[in-house]
Amino acid sequence: MPVPIDSMNRQIVDKVYRLESRRVFATLVRLLRDFDLAEEAMHEAFALAVTQWAESGVPENPRAWLVSTGRFKAIDALRRRGRIDELAPEIVRRFEEVASSNVERASHDIEDDQLRLIFTCCHPAIDPMVQVPLTLREVCGLSTDEVARAFLTAPATMAQRIVRGKAKIRDAGIPFVIPTAADFPQRLESVLAVIYLVFNEGYSASSGTVATRADLSEEAIRLGRLLLELLHDPEVMGLLALMLLQESRRNARATVDGDIILLEDQDRNLWNKSLIKEGLLLVERSMSTRRFGAYSVQATIAAVHATAPSADKTDWPQIVTLYDALQSINSSPVVELNRAVAVAMRDGPDAGLVLIDSILGRGDLVDYHLSHAARGELCRRAGRVAEAREAFIQAISLARQEPERRFLTRRLSEL
Amino acid sequence: MKYMLLIYSPENAWIPEEWKQCVETSMQICEEMAAKGQLLSAAPLHPVATATTVRVRDGKQYITAGPFAETTEQLGGYYLIDVENLDEAIAIASRLPPALKGTVEIRPLLKLDGLPAEKHKTESTNTENSLKKFMFLCYDDEEAWRKAGEQAHHAAMQEAVALTKRLDGLGQYVSASPLHPVATATSIRVRNGQRIVTDGPFAETSEVMGGYYLIMAKDTSEAVEIAAEHSGARVGAVEVREVFDLTPLAVRGSPAPA
Repeated sequence: MPVPIDSMNRQIVDKVYRLESRRVFATLVRLLRDFDLAEEAMHEAFALAVTQWAESGVPENPRAWLVSTGRFKAIDALRRRGRIDELAPEIVRRFEEVASSNVERASHDIEDDQLRLIFTCCHPAIDPMVQVPLTLREVCGLSTDEVARAFLTAPATMAQRIVRGKAKIRDAGIPFVIPTAADFPQRLESVLAVIYLVFNEGYSASSGTVATRADLSEEAIRLGRLLLELLHDPEVMGLLALMLLQESRRNARATVDGDIILLEDQDRNLWNKSLIKEGLLLVERSMSTRRFGAYSVQATIAAVHATAPSADKTDWPQIVTLYDALQSINSSPVVELNRAVAVAMRDGPDAGLVLIDSILGRGDLVDYHLSHAARGELCRRAGRVAEAREAFIQAISLARQEPERRFLTRRLSEL
Repeated sequence: MKYMLLIYSPENAWIPEEWKQCVETSMQICEEMAAKGQLLSAAPLHPVATATTVRVRDGKQYITAGPFAETTEQLGGYYLIDVENLDEAIAIASRLPPALKGTVEIRPLLKLDGLPAEKHKTESTNTENSLKKFMFLCYDDEEAWRKAGEQAHHAAMQEAVALTKRLDGLGQYVSASPLHPVATATSIRVRNGQRIVTDGPFAETSEVMGGYYLIMAKDTSEAVEIAAEHSGARVGAVEVREVFDLTPLAVRGSPAPA
């Protein structure tokens, strides 16, 4: 029996929705300069597609049809609100601008609209606490409830942040543009920071009872892929590679009970080979540009781990060299701490401890649980049990995440 | 879009040579903006020690010497600019020399119908009839206005419009505008050659700057009398600051730092 036409049409519309809705939305935001109006118009356009496409067939270019229908729906909405006279001239001018530019240019513009939207949501003039939910909501299309759940925040609080972000964009005049060459590096940095923040919240949640929230990491990787599609930049490749290589270890990072397994103790057969392959390829592409930055170097470090058959057979001297490179691009106490651990693997625990003690000695990372955890671990290996105990106790008191506390408590009891 | 750039820096952080350099660079940026039609008005303010703050409660004026709030960095000047968007405003703000030592706060102006035409262009002619230029910095509690309701807020705005019209009739009006809520503020600092852009105002205070007036008066006491008439003086506070007239400044050279 053939599938009834309207059910088939429904499926097509659903598919187009999945593929195109965020792009249609991004273009409508550019044309309307109003997030809520664009969202409403996009949904109305899809609603009309369900009935209209069943009658007259799927248009040749569904995205263009949806943008154009959304435009008319937006004008209807403005008319209903009685604001048409005030806003229409400006919007009509922008519509004409789009229509008058040639077709090639218009479709290029539409491709760029999602990129514009990403740069807008990650604008440094927006509170970082707001950039992340705003990007997930407006670029990825997550619902406010989904964003709230992912961050273990009340939906009302998240909704308020998103509203605040949209008001800032509108009232402060944050433009819907791809930044100029002069601003580009710094602006890209804040986009990459937002994506990595989303990833890390999913990979190693900052608080709560479970160690990871996979959905957020997936969303971050999806954003990374989208950004790379729009922008062939070595650091975008580096960030995506870094996320893929870290993600490849997800199934090996914890026991079924959610207990943490350290990198050196992980069953490397559980590492996801296809993610590693994709990650390694991206690392290679990024490094070959010779314009790479901090994310690419971190990805290279992850790549060295990914290709090592075991912790013992890891090329630790190379990892130390890569941390030196990272330090020169982006010096920070956390990078220094990671380097100290790599030095310990290369030269023995005492060499690492000297470095960690000098970081803590000048007052850096004293409130960071991982610096005390690393110190505890190296003291244990060096046979300095009393010091190890003290460091693990300190680390437990600073850790905010339940699985990490369990892990550290176990480490302490094993001394 | 119109923006107000508020220049905060520690008054005592400038040695005379630096101050001179700062004024020269600022003047040059002003000329560039003026050529592009982006500059509405800009000027340094007299030192914060000369500030007077006015509050009106139950019909009674409370006048105190000094600024609205004691801060380590003081408001030392302002720019009113008309540019395409926030990115252009940020680009200008980060070129201003005080961004190296202090903070430039960018505030979008809120459109208010009924205000008289601005008199920025004719400001220098006023020196002939010996009037001085003053800026009123209007501070109020945004939360209190939200609680007071839309109607009360609208009435206060209309009262402010009436005041500007009366001043305009007397030839004492230069410019005035409410600002968008402080949540739309963006702060710019430049340190070690790096531009730092952050969301939010220069300082988090419960009463925030919600608008300004630029007016002409014969002296501070007349300016204070006018400031007390501003509707917001009954709810918040108005800081009165004398403004340097930039036109003779360009000819004379820089004023001595505070």
